[in-house]
Amino acid sequence: MNTKPHTRGDAVVMTVALVLLATLYGLFWQSDGHGAEAVVLVEGKRWARLNLFQDQELRVPGPRGESVIRVQDGQVRFVASPCPTQQCVHQGWLSQGGEVAVCLPNRVSVQILASDPRFDTINF
Amino acid sequence: MISAAARMFAVVALASLLACERQTPEYHEQLLVFGTVVDIKLYGVDAKRAAPLVAQVAEDFQYMHEAWHAWHPGSLGRVNQLLPSGETFAVGPSLLPLIKRSQDLSARSGGLFNPAIGNLIALWGFASDEPPTGPPPTNAEIRAVLDLKPAMSDVHLDGINIHTDNPVVKLDFGAFAKGYAVDRAIERLREAGIADAVVNAGGDLRAIGRHGQRPWRIGIRHPRAPGILASVEVEGDESVFTSGDYERYFDWQGKRYDHIIDPRNGYPAEGLSSVTVFADQADLADAAATALFVAGPKAWLPVARAMGVSGVMLVETTGTVQMTPGIRERIHFEVDELPPIIISEAL
Repeated sequence: MNTKPHTRGDAVVMTVALVLLATLYGLFWQSDGHGAEAVVLVEGKRWARLNLFQDQELRVPGPRGESVIRVQDGQVRFVASPCPTQQCVHQGWLSQGGEVAVCLPNRVSVQILASDPRFDTINF
Repeated sequence: MISAAARMFAVVALASLLACERQTPEYHEQLLVFGTVVDIKLYGVDAKRAAPLVAQVAEDFQYMHEAWHAWHPGSLGRVNQLLPSGETFAVGPSLLPLIKRSQDLSARSGGLFNPAIGNLIALWGFASDEPPTGPPPTNAEIRAVLDLKPAMSDVHLDGINIHTDNPVVKLDFGAFAKGYAVDRAIERLREAGIADAVVNAGGDLRAIGRHGQRPWRIGIRHPRAPGILASVEVEGDESVFTSGDYERYFDWQGKRYDHIIDPRNGYPAEGLSSVTVFADQADLADAAATALFVAGPKAWLPVARAMGVSGVMLVETTGTVQMTPGIRERIHFEVDELPPIIISEAL
């Protein structure tokens, strides 16, 4: 097997390959547990997928009315919901992969996604 | 002849595949059943196989929720309607094992886990779809139930027949049914050949196997602040249950009344804000979490021993955390400032 003749083409391909490898490594293997995305479910079905670095406010319709979910600076929370206890709102900001807040009466939930979450599930 | 570039490409392609591989092996579904969020994760199973299995588990949960609901019409609702008559009647088949198992666990807890106090729970307003707002019941109302000492040993089973001579016995499996249901869900997954899974019914979880190359990672909620207090790794087969005063409560004239009622005095248990129990079965962990919460910060250890749990972590209302030595070795605090910690005697 001859490995000698390194052409310029080989060098370019190798460079591209190494950059690709580094990018993939960064994307899939390096994680501090912070999620970059969250998913909103209504009745357990996916309603929206949110980029946590795109500030926005969503009005999510559930059986009791609208739950309002805010995205800001890589975090997400319920800011209002038509439920008696307001537990979902009191839960505050979520930022760690695996964290979840739910408005049971309105059947709306939001959960942080992460490629390697710090927690697989949370006892709350 | 293969050039170096081509070989490099093959290596990168393989590496990319391996990198992407990590994205696929976990199947996750969130169910809104049993009056809570049920998080189900299966590892190493593709969606095609996992989805119908999880759908089956969801159906089971829905069935159990309806049959065992303490204040909706259903099997248990019917039992509670007929019990005060003192007559003997046949009980629905799904309820029999639940009643027997809860009798056993109630006896082991010295009566601190007592599903026969449904009338007290109703007096406090916690047997309702809407959260209570107060006022608390009067002392006379509480005494009227308490003086007759409702207990699981008052419930007599003979084959499929049930009766009680105690007119204030009312069954409420709120502190137990979820654990029992989580055990059934794990059983069903195992029967289908699933080795690695976690089922978490609103803070009542059982995990089996592992998450691939690592154990399952469980976060435990902070009882007084948003976010996570501590985390723990679980593998093999273990149940971890957390019960807290933040789940259901009402404030009346500056005082918080939580949903865990002390069967000895008829009032909400005081002294603890959350209890996390580790055990080999979910229903045991569920019943024990309630019993230890009732026992309180000074008296929980003998109850934990009698019930046969494998580990305990408690958060007192003052913020102090108590733990068994085995749990101290496993727990990892996720807060910037460590709370005061007391290590108990070994179980």
